[in-house]
Amino acid sequence: MNEILFSNQVIIYLLSESLLFVLLFIAFVVSIKIVIKWDFDSFSQKQFRLEKEAYLVSTITIFLFIIKFILLIYFVFTIDSLSILIAGAMCGAGVVTANEYGTYLLLFKLIIIATLILWFYLNSYDTHTKNYLHMKKKSLLFIAIFISIIFELFLDFQYFTNIDTHQPVSCCSTLFGQLEGANPLPFGLTIPLLLTLFYLLYFLTILTLKTNYRVLYIVSNLLFLYLAYYAVVYFFGTYIYQLPTHKCPFCMLQSDYFYIGYIIWGSLFLGTFIGISDALSSIWTTRKYIKNSRLVISMLTLFVVLSSIYVIIYYFRNGVWL
Amino acid sequence: MIRVENLSKSFYHQQDESKILIDINLHIKRGECIILKGISGSGKTTLLSIIAGLDRPSKGKVLIDDEPISKLPDIFASKIRAKKIGMIFQHFNLFENLSVYENVTVPLIPSGLPLDDIYRAVDKSLKVANIYHKRSLVASRLSGGEKQRCAIARALVADPDIIVCDEPTANLDSQNSILFIETIKELHLMGKTIVIATHDPLFENLNFKSRIVPMFDGKIDE
Ligand SMILES: Nc1ncnc2c1ncn2[C@@H]1O[C@H](COP(=O)(O)OP(=O)(O)O)[C@@H](O)[C@H]1O
Ligand SMILES: [Mg+2]
Repeated sequence: MNEILFSNQVIIYLLSESLLFVLLFIAFVVSIKIVIKWDFDSFSQKQFRLEKEAYLVSTITIFLFIIKFILLIYFVFTIDSLSILIAGAMCGAGVVTANEYGTYLLLFKLIIIATLILWFYLNSYDTHTKNYLHMKKKSLLFIAIFISIIFELFLDFQYFTNIDTHQPVSCCSTLFGQLEGANPLPFGLTIPLLLTLFYLLYFLTILTLKTNYRVLYIVSNLLFLYLAYYAVVYFFGTYIYQLPTHKCPFCMLQSDYFYIGYIIWGSLFLGTFIGISDALSSIWTTRKYIKNSRLVISMLTLFVVLSSIYVIIYYFRNGVWL
Repeated sequence: MIRVENLSKSFYHQQDESKILIDINLHIKRGECIILKGISGSGKTTLLSIIAGLDRPSKGKVLIDDEPISKLPDIFASKIRAKKIGMIFQHFNLFENLSVYENVTVPLIPSGLPLDDIYRAVDKSLKVANIYHKRSLVASRLSGGEKQRCAIARALVADPDIIVCDEPTANLDSQNSILFIETIKELHLMGKTIVIATHDPLFENLNFKSRIVPMFDGKIDE
């Protein structure tokens, strides 16, 4: 089991996460002070000092965001590269499911990135008010992020110390393959229905983003994210692998497929997270419009086009569908 | 116009607190010309940089047109600074390898004004500062007095209401110092609010209305 824990990638990864935690702790203490004592109308020495420290928290959080983002990609990369050490694993799918912590850890990481993006937007709206109107909300959000990160760190160590390299794991073919005809899709959907909804929700998401029905947009984009996951694993992926039976969200991260998975998943998750953070924070700070609708539209469109193009290319090359 | 209330500033070295400004109160009306007079080390530069929003106090207020500049988020503070305050430093702080014209254009670059307006404003302030004839010269080739005039033109180009000068004549000979005072007089007649930190006795008997504010050991004796 220590083969995993003491592999270079895991050591680098865990060390970075732990070091980052020290900085976070400082920011956490200041955030608590802000929630309790912040009073922008005061010109006292305490308040000036707090304003300086608040600036420190912002800087730390921006740093945290950059590092966390890199670490998430590195985590995925590490998982993928560990597959050679674990019996039965052929890609990240086998490694993530090597114990009960992996899937939660990955989900947690995605949620933390999403929350950090939300913080980012709140921060940017905050610094565009003359009196840091949203400082307390921002600090509360940071405290929530901090607590999530404690939990994540716990999961990190649990996960990496509890992988047994000799215990064979099942990998994508069994995990995502159809078990005795059971339908893996949610809501009892069929593939054609799933695809119809996929494209409809994509258009609804983009339309609502443009017209500023923000709640509708958020719901639509979340639903799109949920269905897009299944659409990629159970439909688009098979065209990327050019194998109707190969259903896996992880193999496409490998060099055999030109690392296209990073772009596909990256554009889907980032597009969604940025859009929803923007919308949520603009509701939270009672602003009329969201800021970066173009960026979100480009990312989601990149995702849809990139996924679809594999299907189209396959059809033109072979004259048949899979 | 400028209101300083109970302003204090301390620096910390390890645990030692050194108080640089102590409980300063100062009210400067629109169009006034203030001479902050005090020996070196009395805290003039520190006070000026807090007024201009370049530094933050340890406690107390600085209000510029009722806006607490030292508390605003950076984007607002720098907006106020760009729009309302022109600064002239002892060492001029010019870009030595840019021309006079370019140096004076720099503050207007972020303004997003149409080019024609920018050229007009630059020409105008070069003329007011009496350096128009040297506009295409590289700053490093200017004499001290000319550098000073270039710095004045740059401070004026965004048409600020407030002009802040820190030891403006410390690097000038007496003739150029007298010319500088003449320019200040013109700015005063244009209605600008002017704050000058200096220990130069030339500023003690100006031939226009001014108010001398003596500074000593971080305090203002009034
Ligand atoms: N950043 C700083 N850190 C510590 N001490 C400083 C700092 N800036 C200025 N001081 C001290 O504050 C005092 C006042 O400085 P200053 O405002 O420059 O005075 P003046 O401009 O009147 O000569 C000086 O004793 C100087 O050493
Ligand atoms: Mg000085």
